Amino acid sequence: MRDNTLKYLLVLPAVVVVFATAIWPLIEAARLSFTVGRLNRPGSLDQYLGWENYAWAFLEEPAFWNSVWVTAVYTTLTVGLTTILALGLALLLAPGGRLRSSAQTLLILPFAMSPALIGVSFRFMFNPEFGLFDAFFGVLIPPLADVSWLADPTLAFAVVVMADVWGWIPFLTLVLIGGLASVPRDTIEAAQVDGASGWRVFRDVTLPQLGPVLAVVIILKSIFSLKTFDQVFMLTNGGPGTATQTLSHYIYFNGMKYGQIGYSAAVAWLMVIPMIFLTYAYAKFVFRKG
Amino acid sequence: MAEIRLDNLTKRWGDFVGVDNQSLHIRDREFLVLLGPSGCGKTTTMRMIAGLEEPTAGEIRIGDRLVNDDLPKDRDVAMVFQNYGLYPHMTIFENIAYPLRVRGVAKSDIRPRVEKAAEQVELTEFLDRKPKALSGGQRQRVALARAIVRTPKVFLMDEPLSNLDAKLRVTMRAELKHLSRELQITTVYVTHDQIEAMTLADRVAVMKHGVIQQLGTPDEIYNDPANLFVAGFIGSPAMNLIDGSVKDGMFVTTGGTRLVKIDAQDRDAAILGVRADDMQVHEAGQGDIDVKIYAFENTGESTLLTVQWGRQRVIARGDRHLRKDQNDVVGISLNEDHLYLFDPETENRIRI
Amino acid sequence: MTGRQRKQLWAAVQTALILIAMFIMLVPILWIFLAAFKTHVDVYQLKLFFTPTLENFGIVFDDPYRLGEKLFNSTVVALVTVIIAIPVATLAAYSFSRFSMRGETMMLVIILATQFVPAVVIILPFFVMFRDIGLLDTRVGLILVNLAIVMPFAIWMIKGFIDGIPMDTEEAAMVDGSSRLQVIRNIVLPMAAPGLLTSAIFCFIIAWNEFLFALILTNKNAVTLPIGLALFKGEEGDLWNLLSAAGIIIMAPMFVLALMIRKYFVQGMTMGAVR
Repeated sequence: MRDNTLKYLLVLPAVVVVFATAIWPLIEAARLSFTVGRLNRPGSLDQYLGWENYAWAFLEEPAFWNSVWVTAVYTTLTVGLTTILALGLALLLAPGGRLRSSAQTLLILPFAMSPALIGVSFRFMFNPEFGLFDAFFGVLIPPLADVSWLADPTLAFAVVVMADVWGWIPFLTLVLIGGLASVPRDTIEAAQVDGASGWRVFRDVTLPQLGPVLAVVIILKSIFSLKTFDQVFMLTNGGPGTATQTLSHYIYFNGMKYGQIGYSAAVAWLMVIPMIFLTYAYAKFVFRKG
Repeated sequence: MAEIRLDNLTKRWGDFVGVDNQSLHIRDREFLVLLGPSGCGKTTTMRMIAGLEEPTAGEIRIGDRLVNDDLPKDRDVAMVFQNYGLYPHMTIFENIAYPLRVRGVAKSDIRPRVEKAAEQVELTEFLDRKPKALSGGQRQRVALARAIVRTPKVFLMDEPLSNLDAKLRVTMRAELKHLSRELQITTVYVTHDQIEAMTLADRVAVMKHGVIQQLGTPDEIYNDPANLFVAGFIGSPAMNLIDGSVKDGMFVTTGGTRLVKIDAQDRDAAILGVRADDMQVHEAGQGDIDVKIYAFENTGESTLLTVQWGRQRVIARGDRHLRKDQNDVVGISLNEDHLYLFDPETENRIRI
Repeated sequence: MTGRQRKQLWAAVQTALILIAMFIMLVPILWIFLAAFKTHVDVYQLKLFFTPTLENFGIVFDDPYRLGEKLFNSTVVALVTVIIAIPVATLAAYSFSRFSMRGETMMLVIILATQFVPAVVIILPFFVMFRDIGLLDTRVGLILVNLAIVMPFAIWMIKGFIDGIPMDTEEAAMVDGSSRLQVIRNIVLPMAAPGLLTSAIFCFIIAWNEFLFALILTNKNAVTLPIGLALFKGEEGDLWNLLSAAGIIIMAPMFVLALMIRKYFVQGMTMGAVR
């Protein structure tokens, strides 16, 4: 068989699978977003009502705006904190050696932990009666002793952010260590010989060359932060009230708990839009390499 | 065994022309070297012969057969790659046996043939190892053995020595030459190294910008270059090229120095070519012209003098016992029998 | 302070920082490990020293929790997902890596993009469809939707590995007499084997830890381990010793797998944007 035919045959099964499992649901979700779409009302999935679901979200639903706000703050905080802490840790661990490379190995473990389980473990750690972190913070900051962390809107939000940052630091750190390793050694040595201090070497030579990797990391983390569901569900289930209700959680609740498929599909599509921009930015970095 | 015929062969990628409408007839049992700088189209030409690249236009014949539409596997060629292309997951034995195995040669036949090929390239003791355990030179030999294990119509070699260190390259070059004389199989060899071309080839095709500049024996391209490019590319150090004009049977440099007698018509612009070996170095005042030394280099087997000649620098070869210093003045004379004249416009040779 | 002393002090500070960071990274995991071997009473007393017991692991596999069923479901779902995804992805990845096709970049970007689509978007239509054709709460249904997150990932990752195989070797095989399919079978597959295994492990971990799809699609027969965690909510709140035992059953195998692919972790997770 000639390559010209073969090359298309080889991609065909994958294209079919990707289309059926990812593209079709996107299109179908778009269609559903224009219907009444009540799970418990037969026929309503084909009952069209134009842009009404979108209008409802924008105009009539404070809960929608609340989850947009929660997601935005959550994304900003987790992306910022994770990136800064991971960069620090990467700089600390990059030189290698026995201690550092075993530390790098240990960093793999949180990645292998399911986000749902991370949520569970943080709920455990912050239990007001016997949680380890609770006890720890209680000693450090006495007013926080025996506080019901997850019952207070602000503290609950802080715990959710902490759990996220904890779960993602290892991944970002390992990526940044990889990035640091690809900064040519001789450029750093040249700067040192030229008389730059450690901080100047980092700021003038290392950081600019780390730029693309940092960008990749920030985009990737933003995408995952925007989608966050698992930890939130296990840790606070969006509460107390709706203090930690991210968009994913809001969509889940409206779709599955209240059966408003059409409405939640509309909100879901609103969420796809920022993803398109982020994916575009990410794709630029991926193809720059090729 | 077969001849290869390329007719009006062209390869384009979009606007970029890799090989530009070239025809070449490679004779049966000939060792032909495609020589040129990187990007000149030599590798592309070879890859089209192998079937790894599809020509945009033109015809390729191996023997009497038009092979344009044949897959590489059906062309009955063997190829040695620049990075050897060994199969890292197979032992050396399996590597060498692969062309036989995949062509369905009987198992009982494979072992003796692999062993013979391995013996020819002195690899017998390494047959059980994996490529990773071998040195660069040994890997090179495996690639060779894989090519000679069957008797293909054509050998194709793509810069096979370029990844070896300088010393090993000289040894392998000799082994390659020996082997090719023994086997007597039509060979196309791609290189950018003119010494390899000179030493190995029956004929050399010098390429530039997808066009064959000159096709000839090593003698011809060295002693009778067709144009400025070939003259400048062949020889080490490169041929000196001096700007000037011809007036009253003398070559006059741009600076106005009447340099040397030359048997040519008067012309306003000409380039004189002369090799370092065709210049004699004398004490000051005893040559045709006195010049100041810009740099003096002792290579052991001879000395090289870079001298300032008006605005140009020229390299002359001196006796191995000659000792001079920077800024010394020496006399230079040119050997009138080995001068070349070129037209700066067309870059072609002006026959004297 | 002399320059030398300052250097030593700085090294000591760094070591201390590393140890603190490691402590923070490990404590939540260790705490679960400890709690899993504690009795109900010990958990509530924040004890560091206690008499370890294995009874929690017995309880979680017994009625009414029956974690064994969830373990079976998780294993089957993750395994079958990988068994379907890897071969299909490998063929496509080879083609993307080695040939240029009409609309290739477009296809690759779309595949990349599907990786980033929020899972909640994908699951809504699937829920409706599965409800209509009776695939709710089945392992088959779960495998289908898992392919949505695993396939794009696998294609990109395996493409990265195949890109790393030198063209020379394949071309040598073609000149030596192989057809394209023989090249794939005899040369590419053996050479890409470590990469394929790595990708398979990655995909297995992702499918194993998948939460949202299983939460929405299953309720009894096809419940997987992460969803099973919700079982351990008693009348008086969470049963932490049992939750922890279940947690270990979820984590431990993934830890082993993750350590196996440590070398390729970064390249895999960024789909080749960082090497």
